[in-house]
Amino acid sequence: MLQSIHRSFVGLLILTLLLSACSSLQRVPYRKVFILGIDGLDPVLLRRFIDQGRLPNFQALAQKGHFKPLRTVMPPLSPVAWSAFITGMDAGGHAIFDFVHRDPKTLLPEFSISKAIPSDRSLAIGSWVLPLSGGRVELLREGKPFWQLLQEKGIPTTVFRMPVNFPPQGEGRALSGMGTPDLLGTPGTFSFFTSSPAEGTRDVGGGRIATVQVRDNRVEAKLRGPGNPYRRVEQPDGGHRNPELDLPFEVFLDPQEAVAKFLVQDQEFILKEGEWSEWIRLEFEAVPYLSSISATARFYLQRVRPQFRLYVTPLQINPREPVMPISQPEGWSAELAEELGYFYTQELAEDTKALSSGVFDAKEFWVQSQSVFAEQKRALEHLLKDFDEGLLFYYFSGIDQISHMFWRYMDPEHPGYEADQDLKDGIRTMYQQMDEVVAEILKKLDDDTTLIILSDHGFAPFYRQVNLNSWLHDRGYVKFIRPKPRGPQPFFQNVNWRGTTAYALGLNGVYINLEGRERDGVVAKGMDYADLLERLEEDLLSMIDPANGLHPISRVVRSRRDFKGPFLDQGPDLIVGYSRGYRSSWESPLGDFPADLFLDNTDAWSGDHSIDSRLVPGVLISNRKIILEEPSLVDLTVAVLDEYGIQKSPEMVGQDCLGPVE
Amino acid sequence: MFGPKIKLDRALFEKVKKYSELAGYSSAEEFVTHALEKELAKLEDASSEEEIKNRLKGLGYIS
Repeated sequence: MLQSIHRSFVGLLILTLLLSACSSLQRVPYRKVFILGIDGLDPVLLRRFIDQGRLPNFQALAQKGHFKPLRTVMPPLSPVAWSAFITGMDAGGHAIFDFVHRDPKTLLPEFSISKAIPSDRSLAIGSWVLPLSGGRVELLREGKPFWQLLQEKGIPTTVFRMPVNFPPQGEGRALSGMGTPDLLGTPGTFSFFTSSPAEGTRDVGGGRIATVQVRDNRVEAKLRGPGNPYRRVEQPDGGHRNPELDLPFEVFLDPQEAVAKFLVQDQEFILKEGEWSEWIRLEFEAVPYLSSISATARFYLQRVRPQFRLYVTPLQINPREPVMPISQPEGWSAELAEELGYFYTQELAEDTKALSSGVFDAKEFWVQSQSVFAEQKRALEHLLKDFDEGLLFYYFSGIDQISHMFWRYMDPEHPGYEADQDLKDGIRTMYQQMDEVVAEILKKLDDDTTLIILSDHGFAPFYRQVNLNSWLHDRGYVKFIRPKPRGPQPFFQNVNWRGTTAYALGLNGVYINLEGRERDGVVAKGMDYADLLERLEEDLLSMIDPANGLHPISRVVRSRRDFKGPFLDQGPDLIVGYSRGYRSSWESPLGDFPADLFLDNTDAWSGDHSIDSRLVPGVLISNRKIILEEPSLVDLTVAVLDEYGIQKSPEMVGQDCLGPVE
Repeated sequence: MFGPKIKLDRALFEKVKKYSELAGYSSAEEFVTHALEKELAKLEDASSEEEIKNRLKGLGYIS
């Protein structure tokens, strides 16, 4: 009996001890890793500005932690580089080889990041078409993103504006970034209204220009919206198109002052000349009283008179009522808009096209870019407030975009150089602003948090354009249907495919017109293919620019030889690495054949990085020791997994580049 | 050479002849064939090309 009481007592004691241990054992929060992705941050410029004492926070971090150039990928384009970091694989594994690839069946260029799959079931009543099942957008990047591996272990993740993540993948929180279209399905199409007939009504790359009339100090105009998904109009060729929705609005000009009142649907606002509106909500009515497509835009009253000039931003997917999947969970974009107000949802929102087409001057572009930067800073502050465990990735686009557009102001050797006392320091100012962001981050992170700052590539000047397709024609690789074509002929319109052995498409790709793969392939697999690759590589590397005797190409990568993975066949056969100062021409990537082989680049887009990857490494800074001599983007993927004790997947090609916690 | 023939207004034909030479075509026939091929290609690909242009030309990297 006593023994039994004793046993019960001991049992009770053990149970009590266990319970008390459990109650005092709260779950240990997951380790915090903060990754700051700064697109286009260049190690040489960063070092130069640090040495000038202009970046005290980067300097402190680099001294306390570690700073090294980060090896990037071929070609060093953002979608390709970020995909490598996301998956830990090269392009053979993640299938993103360029911004643009070709459909081998049509030989037409296509956008590489995502594609829209239209609704396959619909009910047509006259010209009205009612979709019975929704269409969708498909991300074309292959491979599992590293944050999904973390999520599988229960680690909370927030991935903010990661490029090539539209629609967002995984189960954690995410907002899509580069690759997210505007409401028209483009990377961004601004609207510009002018009363100057000389400017004409025309579409320019990335924008639509419309002439308007000022009558009795009043302007009537229309914003052109997306196609109406519920209506269909037959075309002469038997196909169909969705007629465009539009949204009329009015502007009343003050007869004396440089001020105007806007009436946009039920919203009224007043702008002074040179002033920007807040975000304005727009509803494109698709079915009267039943269905509308929601968007947002900002209006910039550039000039009231003598010529009226009005710029409207690309139509944004309204984050409160997104018509496309821009966030994960789906409702997160609306929550963010509740906290932060409306924001740019399109991919790179700095309007480089408005500057290139002359709608903006450089100072206006700077102001618009600063508004994008201010939004990105505000969102970061918001996310840092509740960052208490797991992984947070955050992306900034400003340095990349300003480096593209302002290089010519700091480089007297540039063919488009313009002396301007303010703009010459534009790139440096952007670096300094990012330095202030780093200061804010350092204030908010504790010492136990791993901080990783990385960029996908660096930067170089873009002095000379190479018309690679024209060069391929001159060397006999491309044959024309008709000789001596005049004027623009994009999309290989004049190409005789039966006589063509190789063609260029995208910024760095060269494809062999391979039998059995391309629509009109003529090059046999096996020795013919191998010999052609050999000859072509040699030819490309021997190319000489007669203007200066330089070799415009310093490296050629072969996808099937140099990459790994199941998607080698989707990419170009050769990837061209241009020398510093060179790049593909403006026309060649979409299959055009301008007369000149080499040209100066005088466009406002004056810096670039689509060259030999060895010449434009990115940046890696961390408060952890960088243990590899030459770390690369794919090594960093493995390092992030290792922070949580997760082994790399067998298909990942990198190795851990960060040391253990010191 | 012995394929179907198409009648052209005399004045238009003279114009075609003049400009085909200026543009470097070897004959008026070659110029007309090329012009028609281009127009037909436009009609055949109108919708897909328009879509592609819209989608891609907004990329900063391409004009």
